[in-house]
Amino acid sequence: MRRWLLLVLRAVLAVVFLYAAYSKLRQPWLLFAMAIDAYRILPQWAVMTLARALPWCELALGILLLTGFWLRQVALTASLLLVVFFGVMLRSYAKGLEIDCACFGLGEALSVKTLLRDGVLVMSSVALTVLAFREARYAPTQI
Amino acid sequence: MGKPMSRSLLFLCCALAAGMVELQSAKGAITEIVKSTGTFTAPISIEVFSDFQCPSCKALYEGTLRPLEDDYVATGKVYLVHRDFPLTMHAHAHEAACYACAAGRIGKYEAACSVLFKQQGVWSVDGKVGDTVCSVLSPSEAKLVRQWATDPQITASIEHDIQLGHTAKVHQTPTMVITYKDQHYPVSGAVNYDLLRRFLDQLLSK
Repeated sequence: MRRWLLLVLRAVLAVVFLYAAYSKLRQPWLLFAMAIDAYRILPQWAVMTLARALPWCELALGILLLTGFWLRQVALTASLLLVVFFGVMLRSYAKGLEIDCACFGLGEALSVKTLLRDGVLVMSSVALTVLAFREARYAPTQI
Repeated sequence: MGKPMSRSLLFLCCALAAGMVELQSAKGAITEIVKSTGTFTAPISIEVFSDFQCPSCKALYEGTLRPLEDDYVATGKVYLVHRDFPLTMHAHAHEAACYACAAGRIGKYEAACSVLFKQQGVWSVDGKVGDTVCSVLSPSEAKLVRQWATDPQITASIEHDIQLGHTAKVHQTPTMVITYKDQHYPVSGAVNYDLLRRFLDQLLSK
């Protein structure tokens, strides 16, 4: 049962990360940079670096989750990333910023719906991380 | 005798309908000319869907659109069209759009936009939209603009913009729809001018 849950969570999160990467990489990176900048958190040099790097990181995470390599480390990284995203989105929503969520490309406003979706993703990723570490404790050679 | 009569009547109806459609599109085109700046044949066109009562729209207008007009619109690289997209959550936004469009009829659209954004914090609270716009007009112009602000044609032109926004899947303000070689790029929020400039330069260098 735990194995199946691990597999399902891995697959779901892998698809989410792969789709997030695809939706960002298919459009000019400067559009994504503008969306990140709208959050008003980072200086411009950091915005531009993040806009170039983040889609590739998401792609790598998606592939690694799908293949299952270094699962504990990858699941932990995905959880940290999603927690940061969720925190930033929550902060912006609380400040009343009317901006794009930019989670899956452009054209989706930051809203309660996007926050709920990200919250579910955070919980799934944390669950995956916990399961991956537990699995490693019980059967270290298989992870 | 009856057949040719009904045919003529049908023809007359069709002609009338065609005339109405043409008149409607002509009105839309006139409104667009009033609210646009730059050369129509510019390689890039930007439609800005905005709401006069929205703080981010003010930030976009003052921090991004002003320098954009100087650097890209005046040099023939960008054709800029303002579209009204008043949100229902903003009590005076629709009225402000009506006044701006009415001012556009006497060639004062830019002046009206400028004062509406500049004084946004004041009229948003006291609701004196007309007084704000009329403060940049002569008494005779102000009289005309006050009359036209309630003109159904002005309301129709705003509704036309809102419909265009819905078609372009605009769900928040401000939203810019950048069009280059039939490709549409929607960008929401008070976009940083430097990033926008880089993006436009990237498009133009293609």
